[in-house]
Amino acid sequence: MAEGSPTKKPEQPEYIRIKFDLPRPYHWSTGRYLGKLYAEAKENKRLMANRCPKCKEIRVHAPTPVCPKCKVDMGWDWVELPQTGTVFQYTYQVYPLWDPHEGRRCSNPHPPAIILLDNGVYLRHLLEETDTKKLKEGMRVQAVWEEDYDKRGQGFQDILYFRTIEE
Amino acid sequence: MAERVAIVAVAQTKYHPNRADVNEGELAYEAIKQVLEETGLTLSDIDSAVTCCQDAWDGRTIASLNLQHVVGAHFGHEFTVAEDGINAAYVAMSQVLSGHHEIVLVESHMKESQGDKSVIENAAFDAILMRQLGLDFTSAAALQARHYMDKYGITPEQCAKAVVRNHGNAKNNPLAQEPMDITVDDVLGSRMLASPIRLLDTKPVSDGACALVMTTEEKAKKLTKKPVWIVGVSNCYETHYLGDRELADSDALVKAAKKAYSMAGINDPLSQIDVAEISTEYSYQEPLWMEGLGFCGRGEGGKLVDSRTIEMGGKLPVNPSGGVLPGNPNGVAGMARVAEAVLQLRGEAGDRQVKGAKVALAHGYTGICGQHQAVMILANM
Ligand SMILES: [Zn+2]
Repeated sequence: MAEGSPTKKPEQPEYIRIKFDLPRPYHWSTGRYLGKLYAEAKENKRLMANRCPKCKEIRVHAPTPVCPKCKVDMGWDWVELPQTGTVFQYTYQVYPLWDPHEGRRCSNPHPPAIILLDNGVYLRHLLEETDTKKLKEGMRVQAVWEEDYDKRGQGFQDILYFRTIEE
Repeated sequence: MAERVAIVAVAQTKYHPNRADVNEGELAYEAIKQVLEETGLTLSDIDSAVTCCQDAWDGRTIASLNLQHVVGAHFGHEFTVAEDGINAAYVAMSQVLSGHHEIVLVESHMKESQGDKSVIENAAFDAILMRQLGLDFTSAAALQARHYMDKYGITPEQCAKAVVRNHGNAKNNPLAQEPMDITVDDVLGSRMLASPIRLLDTKPVSDGACALVMTTEEKAKKLTKKPVWIVGVSNCYETHYLGDRELADSDALVKAAKKAYSMAGINDPLSQIDVAEISTEYSYQEPLWMEGLGFCGRGEGGKLVDSRTIEMGGKLPVNPSGGVLPGNPNGVAGMARVAEAVLQLRGEAGDRQVKGAKVALAHGYTGICGQHQAVMILANM
């Protein structure tokens, strides 16, 4: 192999290793607004978002006490989001991503997508369809919920993914 | 360029051991709403926001994520600083002085209840050399306390007196977390944490937020009848490594105070300052910081705690609000001192008011054994 070849393996330096294995125990409050989203998903399998009294825009990611656009107090006006929509954009990853629940990399076969819900709001979620040949923008999809009550309570993840539907 | 910078409104939440009912943004918004209401400003009027929060305490990177909306910074101007909100106030002042921004919202918040204090503090030590020794801020403070008390003959009773006075003063502060009638014996009889620091020598876990609005002289006069002016400010850091420091003398504070005093034209702090709010998370810090601030000579802090000088009605009341010991969160504590100083200078401090206060000192610190020290002098004329 020639000197400077990109395929030449770099020499491994000698490391001094310090083991530092300390747990990081944190917990966070959802607060009132995000708490409403979590509670409605867990209890009623409903997707809730709050609406600005001024511009009437709906905040999906995530419910907030102040409209970022109008900079006014949002009050307490909630709308239920439709659970059907159209795939706006999708991608698929060929390398393993982090699974935060497992603390390790693993392959989630479900392609991430931005879904245009039927009320005109965009939601970032996953698609059930894993056959990349069958994926296309404009596909009609519907939310599939985790049916086990005890497993719900994860916010947006209470929806497992969006399933392709024929209409 | 603005010549004088004013604080036109301040607000704090009530300090609480566990605000599980709100997230950080909602907590901050409680204080922010009050300063907006008081000034008649809306979030659209804010030119810039300077916020203070700490990733390590929050347990997330970009701890300010929850704040963007509530400080009105969507497509807007925002700085986030770490350490203490008194630093955020310093940055905001610079923004106004530069002429770059006219109306600046300053905010700090902390929910200490969401993490483990000891684990988080250990992470503040140098990762390669120091963390493995297992210290947290309390054990490090204990080393400083012992050295300081040994060197100058400061007694545990004198430190306990600081605790008693602060908790007593807190009874006049409706926002205080732990106002208490306690005695020196209660403090000395409380559970030992790291000798000589006992449970009552420290502050409890606390959640809370503080907000204020800073602006130019011209704008200030339109926004309030009672502007409070920043007449001196400075901060100073010393080395992180405890072995390289003289822990019994807070030279960073000496330097910070000197600079702030020279800006404010103060050469005799005890006579020229009417009220002081200082940040002490541990009881021994009150005499030590008062020495650093030049309220007395080196080693004389114990005697000053013994005297009536710093009590309500004394020559220089220290912490009419009760200060940090009855419960203020890290990161908010120093900025809360600024807010309390402003209330004093506006004559709005209620039962804790120091009559006719014209010049006030606010002090904040962060880091191991007070590595970072900040001093702000405020006046109402
Ligand atoms: Zn709006």
